[in-house]
Amino acid sequence: MLSEIVFYVNDKKTVFNGNPLTRLIDVLREDLGLTGVKEGCGEGECGACSVIKDGKLVTSCIIPVGAVNGSHIYTIEGIRDTEKGKCIIDAFAEGGAVQCGFCIPGMVMAAYALLSSNPHPTEMDIRKGISGNICRCTGYDLIVESIKLAAEKGGSIWA
Amino acid sequence: MGMTYIPSTLSEALRLRAEKGAKPLAGGTDLMVQSKRGIALAPQFPFDVMIITAIDELKGIRALDDGSVEIGALVTPSEIAASDIVPWHVRQAAAGMGAIALRNTATIGGNIGNASPKGDLPQPLILLDAEVVLASVKGERRMLLDDFILGSKKTALGDDEIIRSVIIPPHDFTYSFYRKIGMRRANAISKLSLSAAAVVKDGEILDFRASSGASGPRVIRSKDAESIIKGHMVEEIPELMDSFLEAWNNAISPHAMPEYRRNTTRRMLGYFLSSIHEGASPGIISEEV
Amino acid sequence: MPQTAIDDRIVRVDATSKARGEAKYVSDLSFPDMQYAYMVRSSIPRGKIDSISIPELPEGYWFISADDIPEEGKNELWMIQKDWRCFAEGDVKYVGETIGLLVGSDRNVLRYLLDNVDIKYTEEEPAITIDEGLAVKGGPIVGEDNVLCQLFVEKGRPMEEVFREADSVFEETIETGFQEHVHLETNGAIVTIENGKYTFYASAQCPFYIRKAVAGLLGLQAEDIVVKQTTTGGAFGGKEHFPDVLCGPLLVAEHKIRKPIKLIFDREEDMLYSVKRHPAKITYKTALDKDGNILGIDGVVVYNCGPYLSGSFVVLQRGVFHANGVYDIPNTHVKGIGIATNTFPSDAFRGFGAPQTLFAIETHMEHIAKRFGFDPAEYKSRYFIKQGGETITNGHIVERVVLPEMMKQVTDASDYFRKASEYRPGSGKGIGISFYNHGGAFTGNGEQAIIKAHARLVKTGDRVRIEVGSTEMGQGFQTTLRKIAAATLGISIDDVDYDNPDTSIVPDSGPTAASRSTMIVGRLVERCAEEMKERWQEGDFSVEKEYEHPEGHPWDQNTFRGDAYLGYGWGCCIVEVEVDKLTKEVKVTGIWSSHDIGKAIDELIVHGQVNGGIVQSLGYASMEKMENRNGHFRQSSMSDYVIPTSMEFPTQQWFLVDNPYEWGPFGAKGMGELVFNGADAAYIDAVERAIGKEIHKIPMPPEDIEEVLNAE
Repeated sequence: MLSEIVFYVNDKKTVFNGNPLTRLIDVLREDLGLTGVKEGCGEGECGACSVIKDGKLVTSCIIPVGAVNGSHIYTIEGIRDTEKGKCIIDAFAEGGAVQCGFCIPGMVMAAYALLSSNPHPTEMDIRKGISGNICRCTGYDLIVESIKLAAEKGGSIWA
Repeated sequence: MGMTYIPSTLSEALRLRAEKGAKPLAGGTDLMVQSKRGIALAPQFPFDVMIITAIDELKGIRALDDGSVEIGALVTPSEIAASDIVPWHVRQAAAGMGAIALRNTATIGGNIGNASPKGDLPQPLILLDAEVVLASVKGERRMLLDDFILGSKKTALGDDEIIRSVIIPPHDFTYSFYRKIGMRRANAISKLSLSAAAVVKDGEILDFRASSGASGPRVIRSKDAESIIKGHMVEEIPELMDSFLEAWNNAISPHAMPEYRRNTTRRMLGYFLSSIHEGASPGIISEEV
Repeated sequence: MPQTAIDDRIVRVDATSKARGEAKYVSDLSFPDMQYAYMVRSSIPRGKIDSISIPELPEGYWFISADDIPEEGKNELWMIQKDWRCFAEGDVKYVGETIGLLVGSDRNVLRYLLDNVDIKYTEEEPAITIDEGLAVKGGPIVGEDNVLCQLFVEKGRPMEEVFREADSVFEETIETGFQEHVHLETNGAIVTIENGKYTFYASAQCPFYIRKAVAGLLGLQAEDIVVKQTTTGGAFGGKEHFPDVLCGPLLVAEHKIRKPIKLIFDREEDMLYSVKRHPAKITYKTALDKDGNILGIDGVVVYNCGPYLSGSFVVLQRGVFHANGVYDIPNTHVKGIGIATNTFPSDAFRGFGAPQTLFAIETHMEHIAKRFGFDPAEYKSRYFIKQGGETITNGHIVERVVLPEMMKQVTDASDYFRKASEYRPGSGKGIGISFYNHGGAFTGNGEQAIIKAHARLVKTGDRVRIEVGSTEMGQGFQTTLRKIAAATLGISIDDVDYDNPDTSIVPDSGPTAASRSTMIVGRLVERCAEEMKERWQEGDFSVEKEYEHPEGHPWDQNTFRGDAYLGYGWGCCIVEVEVDKLTKEVKVTGIWSSHDIGKAIDELIVHGQVNGGIVQSLGYASMEKMENRNGHFRQSSMSDYVIPTSMEFPTQQWFLVDNPYEWGPFGAKGMGELVFNGADAAYIDAVERAIGKEIHKIPMPPEDIEEVLNAE
């Protein structure tokens, strides 16, 4: 039985001793100050709080911290200065993907997860890959274009 | 407010279940949402819960010797959708659940145990006569999923039991149909879903089955209606159609949004049967455009 | 650093910090000793408050209500009028009306307290729908007849005369529903005291509105309050007046508690307890000759306002002023009524009243065309208003109207005429078209008489700082405005600063609303920059300008006659669909649009606005259903009130026409709302053709399409 939850956030070991039902998003935002993780809906519907857990995209607002023992979690703060993270962020900026920006860190995480598993996505692959990330501003076209751009510009980094 | 436990093995979990009545929490996609209390607040449950995500015995998809497929309770929709041994109807339903992040988090055990009428996986599983394996400190038992889910949010799960796995018996359908209608094209809760399948050999319909999701408190499967078609010849379909559709219509619960759900179900089943009658090539009967 | 030219493709100034997760939204801010606030709200739509019982409050916890407003203050939020109460007192008028604020340091404790507040009511019969409001169900909410505001406009000859000459009269009622903004960032604000002044950090479109709205609660002047806008995660009108409803109670709490207090809505609160787009019921009665020519239109436009006025009268005016769409109808009479009900007050939402009437007139025109066997595009184009044409308010269209060119662009690109004739009604395939416009900036002489916007440029060395009250909320204004300044000054955009406004520093440039920012504030900055450029060698100095009204735009705000707007943006949209025969689900297979926005200051930003506005409009027409039962909204989350995902619609084809506007910066007009105003009607037109039936309302999810198909 676990009494202490140990996991890794952006490669840093984190030990959590509180209520295991605490939402992962609250540990990230409130305890660790990772405010790039946004709360848009609190029920896993909008994707603004998306993080990567053990290589997979998840919404941190519905995951209890008790479920991440031993896991490696990456947030926007953990990828933004990596080669892949920069590639996506630059493409988003250049391609006009960002408007109000609230959905964007989560969208970048979704793009990161997509390109990491599918370096040459079709338009439909991209649309599917971000279909859990709701954006109210852009109508998505320029986000889709920007992810295409990241795939092209990144080239071998995604392979 | 209950206690929260994090067992690491199945036996630990079964003991907690027996001694504390702790309810299993896996992906959290249902429970964490139902009990949410707002920003920066942990959900609260009026009972003990145990977070079971670490239990390896509940993971994995395997083919059994008799051709069945066993899916561990913690298997996610993403894993199901990507598996080449899981039957087509179930993969379709798994692939259409929520969006990627949810499919990476939700579990088949949770989707069944939550017994929401709008749950995506029970519908095709019930079509396929899938069974649930229920484990307790006393041992295991198996029952048909159709018998396990009693109604909206109600199951036959014992106070000391947890869902261990789902076993899907083998089928070799000549024709298959699956359709989910959500509130939008992706990332949507089901408004209505339908699976149908038939085995046709030498013009005879050896097996015919259908199941409707989100059409009532539980998945609808009507053996009576199925028997109207089953055992008959393909050329008889036109004369059986009306009585079959009528029988199906009567099986659908008379609640909420009846017209649209009824008519759409009727059109889909009619289309499936007509396609068989018109000699469609064996395989997936895809949607009409 | 190279000079920035207006047509340069540049990277949005806020893109990278937002994408990196570094931009701080209000929920990301915290202050030492910060307290949290939860709203205590009414749970019934109408009734008397008999008692409010609060659980025993631990040390350091407060319940703030109307009782805490000091003697010198008044329990009112000054929006346009002062009817919206900061706290309900004695009675409640809608579900979710603020009754009090629970404040303290631990959200777990606050949540427990909130769950244990017990309010007893004597319930009264509410009026929820437009019809119930008009019928004064349960007795009047406002005045004697629930009419919160009304107006009429007329053009041409008297209606009786016109209708006497008609060969036929076609009358129909078209209805539109509530729409929720669903800005991804929910509403939120923090109040604190800085340098002895009450200071707000708020997610808001209009920091100066907040100051004005809340100051009176403590008997203060607007200048006594400081508002600092935080990075705003979408607004769409939902953060125009509504932040006042958060900031008012916070100010009263701050007066007592004097510690930083943070109030952030969760999504459920934002869905259930925030303003929505006004539902509308619009009846057109049209006099026609035997060939289907329109002799005149008699219209009644009714908007469901909720119990308080907020921006409703202005919304209604804009609705009425757009009730003839882009058409020169020879004789018109349109009456507008804002009806009071016991729903959450309706307020601003992108388009501000115009989308409802534009949807109605487009659908009505298209129904007339089809009844007389004309192609809707061809029929509608006969009535396009032209330069010099008389508007519904007896004003005139000043600019060149390039709708015919725009129509040609989109009909060619979409192969509209071939498809329109090939797709048989009811075949499951359809293509639809709509035309629309949007009056830029405040109605009539409002910019001159009410707003009197100011803008300032401050030069320090080789850097220039823009000081305006206008806000970035996602629409790209920080980039647009810097680009205007840089291109006018002949410097690099990187040498221009423009921070989120702080009301203690910047002049009031008016609200960030009404598609006025680029057109009005952009022009002010352009004028400041022109002068600064001439005086560039003078060293460090600043230039401030006040709005100047262009000559020749007569307007009478009492009779609503004259030039309602200084200029219009124009649009044309085509949508192509397939309706699934089995499920009645609609698949959009093509979207084409053309817009005249004068001149695009930044084409990439405009591209994003066009895409986003059209998708929002398609959501409004198709899936965004917000129902109200007995005063309670039924949709409370993003899973039951669904908005479009990336999978809903195909990549859009879009065009712009250059048609420079004399008084806009570099020829630009407003565009943020225009692009919302028409895709809904094109979509419904397409669906109608695909199913071979007329539709009279939105939204139209599959079950409603089924209902239309089974009707009669």
